[in-house]
Parts: sequence; C-alpha cells; structure tokens
Amino acid sequence: MEGCVFTKKDYQSELKPIWCPGCGDFGVLSCIYQALAAVGVPPHRLAFLSGIGCSSRIPGYTTAYGFNSVHGRSLPMAIGVKVANPELTVLAAGGDGDGFSIGGGHISHAVRRNPDITYIVMDNHIYGLTKGQAGPTTVPGTISVTTPYGLSETPVNPLLQVLASGCGFVAQGGTHDLKGLTKMIEEGIRYKGFAFIDVHSPCVTYGREEDQSKELKAKSELLADLNHDPSDKIAAYRIAEEYGKKLYCGVLYRKDGLTELATMHKQVQKNAKAAGDYPRDEVFKRNFLVH
Amino acid sequence: MATAQRLLMKGTEAIAEAAIRAGCRHFFGYPITPQNEIPEYMSKRLPQVGGVYLQAESEVSASNMLYGAGGSGVRVMTSSSSPGIALMAEGFSYLCGSEIPAVVVNIMRGGPGLGDIQPSQGDYAMCTKGFGHGDKHAIVLAPSTVQEAVDLMALAFDLADQYRNPCVVMGDGLIGQMMEPVTFPEAPVKVYDKPWAATGKPPTRKHNIINSLYLDPEELERHVYHLFEKYERMRADEQRHETFMLDDAPPVVICAYGTMARIAKTAIRELRKTGVKIGLFRPITAWPFPVEALSGVVQSTKVFLAVEMSMGQMIEDVRMVVGRDRPVKFFGRPGGVIPTVEEIIHQVKLLSN
Repeated sequence: MEGCVFTKKDYQSELKPIWCPGCGDFGVLSCIYQALAAVGVPPHRLAFLSGIGCSSRIPGYTTAYGFNSVHGRSLPMAIGVKVANPELTVLAAGGDGDGFSIGGGHISHAVRRNPDITYIVMDNHIYGLTKGQAGPTTVPGTISVTTPYGLSETPVNPLLQVLASGCGFVAQGGTHDLKGLTKMIEEGIRYKGFAFIDVHSPCVTYGREEDQSKELKAKSELLADLNHDPSDKIAAYRIAEEYGKKLYCGVLYRKDGLTELATMHKQVQKNAKAAGDYPRDEVFKRNFLVH
Repeated sequence: MATAQRLLMKGTEAIAEAAIRAGCRHFFGYPITPQNEIPEYMSKRLPQVGGVYLQAESEVSASNMLYGAGGSGVRVMTSSSSPGIALMAEGFSYLCGSEIPAVVVNIMRGGPGLGDIQPSQGDYAMCTKGFGHGDKHAIVLAPSTVQEAVDLMALAFDLADQYRNPCVVMGDGLIGQMMEPVTFPEAPVKVYDKPWAATGKPPTRKHNIINSLYLDPEELERHVYHLFEKYERMRADEQRHETFMLDDAPPVVICAYGTMARIAKTAIRELRKTGVKIGLFRPITAWPFPVEALSGVVQSTKVFLAVEMSMGQMIEDVRMVVGRDRPVKFFGRPGGVIPTVEEIIHQVKLLSN
C-alpha cells in the first residue's frame, strides 16, 4: 500500500457532512482530502483527532482512524496517539472555541513538545454548534445570544499566541482561497513538527456578514505577493498583529530542524539504555534488596 | 534478578515497577503529593524499556492523553491523588463511554478541597460511584499491602483490556509511602486483540471512529445497555474479598479495606487474645462491592463495625448488603488522621456494652 497513489476519494468516508449548506468547513474538508492525497498518506496510517464543535465532526468524514474526542482536548489526545504510535500521520482539528477557549491552555504546551502533528483550526469567530454564543475570537461589540449588549472582551490573537510559544510552523488561510489552503495544509503535514494553521472558515448561520467568504476575499492578501520571508520572525509578528483586521494568507513563520518529540524520546531511550542503570540489575538490588 | 528475591520497596515505586512488568509502556501524569514517586520512577524506568513518560500540563490533559494512547492500543496508565483524580474525571467518563482500557492509580489524601497530604480514604464514593458523569462504572481494586498492590497492578491491566474499560487501583497515602518487602510474580503479559484501536494496520481494515457521542437517544440507550451488560459481568465475576478470623462465625465483624483493614487485623488479634470473638471482612474490589460474600456473613453476625479513614463512605455499601436486620456501627477519622489499634479496640468494647 505504501508508495501507492491516492486520490481524494480514498479519504472520503460514507458519512455525509451535516453542516449547514454553505458552511466554510466543506471547503476545509475538501482541502484536507486534496492535501492528504498530494502527500500520499495511506488512509490506514492516518489518525485524525478532534474535540467538540461543528468543525470537530471532520474526522468522521474521512477514512482515517478517528477520534471525535472531548471538548478542547484534541491536542492532548493527538499527543497520546503520536506518542503511542509515532508511525502514524496525525492531524488534529477543531474550532476556535475548542482550540482557543476551553482547550487554550493546551496549545502552548503542545508547541513546547513539538510533536509531528498538524493542527487545523476552523476559526469562525462564534460558537456555531451551540447556536451562536460569542467565542474567544469574536469581535468586540458583537451582539450574540450571550452578549445581548455587545461583547466587551478583547478577542485572543491565536497567531501571536502560537508564535510567541515558539511554534515552528504558523500559517493562516481562508475558505475564499481553497487552492492556497490545500497547499498550506500539505506543507503543514510535510513539516516535521507541530504545524499550526488558522483557517478563517465562515459560519453562514451565526457568523457576521463581515466574516463571510466574499468579505474574506476582499480583505485578504497573499503573503507570497508581499515577498514575505517566512524565516523572519519579527516580520511574522507584524503580520500576526493584523489578525482580525487584514487577512494575510500563507505561511507566516517556518523554522525547520526544531527537536521533535519523537526524536527527543528516541534520544532519551538511547541514553537510558546506554547508561544501563535500570534497577532490574545492580541499582535495583542495591536500592531495594532485603539484606 | 531471580523471581523469588524479596525486595524492599516503597508502595509507589512498587506500583510503578509492577505496571511496567504488566506491559505498561506509556505513562501520563501531573505532579501531586503523595504519589510523586510513581511518575518519578516511570520517568527513569520507561525510557529504558522503550516506553514513554510524559508530564502533562494538567491532570485534565493527562487523562485525555490516556484516551489517545489507550485508543492506539497500548497499555496506558496514570496516577494521581484525590484533587488530581477529580480533575481527571472528565477523561474517565469518556474512557468508559468510548470503551478504552486504561489503569488509574489513586493514592488518596485528605480532603475536601486542598485538604492535606496525609493518608485518607475519602475518595471511596468518588471512585466507586462517581468517576465522571453519566451511566458507567469502573472496577476499583483496593490493596491492603504493598505486595497486594503489586499483584493487583497486573490484574488491573488485564481487567482493563478484558472489559475495555478503565480500571482503578485505589490506595491511600500510607500504602504509597510505606516500604515493605515485595516479590514480583513472573507471569507473562497477557496480550489482548484490539481490532478497534488506532494501530495503523492492516490496510484492509474498516476505519474506526473512537467516540462516545450518540445523538439519537435510542442509539445511546442501546450503547449504555451494552456497557451495562459488561458491568453486570463484572458484578458477577469480579467481586473479590478477604476474610480474617471469620471461621468460628464471630458475632462482631469489622468491615474495612486498604490500610484500615490491616490496622483492624492487629486490633482483632489483640481482642482475640482477651477472648473477644471478632473477625474482619475486607473488600478487595470496592466496585463491584463483594455483595455475595458479605451476604453470607450476615446470618451469623450480631453487629458490624465499619472502620474507615473517612467520615464513612464504604459503610453505605455495607448497610446496603446487611440491611436493617443487623446494626452497622461506624468508626472513622477524616482529614488524614489514621485510626489506631487502641481506638478500634475501644470502639469494639463500646459495642459490647
């Protein structure tokens, strides 16, 4: 099976998405299929983890090993899978509420460990599944079912947060440019380490007018057209600062050669074996033997 | 190292070593006293046997890492102490719902709240009746000595795999911190077929979704019925207990588990010396509670005394079995205070007055 050519179809499950017609997540799903086919990941070597939310239904629509897991916990679970089975290609996905609110505490720690996982957030700035409550990336002033007088809190800036945590692959895309998004996801999967991709994926039912695909297109600009250098972290910070205002699409920051979790563990195991101080023999006897 | 060698080990270290010998190669945890020697031991030992130790950013995260790794088909374990176990409850409920095997060690400390770090049995209710939300159970094993903790670890991994359900080993700070001689049984690790796990092979296999979501209530009902068919099997097959000095059908029977049971044994020996006819009934499985065995003792007993390192949690199960025909008295001390042999003897003497 390895070395085979895969097509989009190989990753499609028999389940039909039940997202609202026009939902941005359809586009993201399609891009994920294409990207997986481009990389040539055999479906049975793929694990796809998600939390809870509209977008978290996504593993079910693929032929991957899937976990539709716990709200906000796709990253701890993805790390669990990767650690137990490093051979698998591991994807994690979810929404902005799942990733930046209830699961927000996990991101920086996932980055610190740098597992070879691609994390795709479908950022729609609202809680869609629960019918339109304000979320962590909702724009201030937004009237929602839980902010009847307008949201008074400042949104999180996921790009800045992830960059500041030391992530080696940070990208931003939107469903207005599926070709660009596919390429970005493909690059993320190929990247050795933790890849973070924030995808502006509009909620057609509860989202703002300004966040729909048409408007996304109007405010977006390709980083490639701006001659952005993804190895320039300061430039990446400047772009990230514009999150929510301009939509700069592409890879903001990329740094290769960071020590990845699996490599780290392998080294630790090697060192431990070389040291040969497992208590089973000498140390064990010395410390625990009843004399 | 020969099998028969006796080793002097701390409970926590012995538990960790027993887990590794039972085939556990993945450990996720978060520091909390009084169980830190388990993760410490694991961090040193696991890499030497090709395993992975990972310190999570929180107990919530650790319990979800269990889900991920357990779902990948490997033997996984976490350990914590009372407040940490409460935080992990989120993951435990999902493990039950998604039928993922895992072993959870709870080295109980005094509560509620931050409480203290002294030995306690205040989590009996949480482990046997709580353990997260929803309709579910988990087998709870309660060792009374370090040796028993070692023996029960292997059993815990087997039960978890056999029933596809998390299994709890519930010790207290004393079992965890005390040093005792132990021998490790040299039994081969049982291997269970896990066709549902994310192992990445074989390519012909139908894809799996590991999930606990059933939006259709009738479908969820069927799933819960399926889970309870397993729990009924556990109730039928997995009740474990020990009796001590019950052969002559003494009129007074102490019910106690874990550390409390061994203190009770000393008190019983002392009382027997002075002619008091008394014995001990010790649940080894706190869930399923050894209902059958305890029922058999009721007829010949005049009074039961439940002794616990809490304000009385196991006593509810004892009362459920004994009913109203016999009095079930209670003695316990909360907050990490351990009842002494003298105190138990005093309580028994009060019973006969």
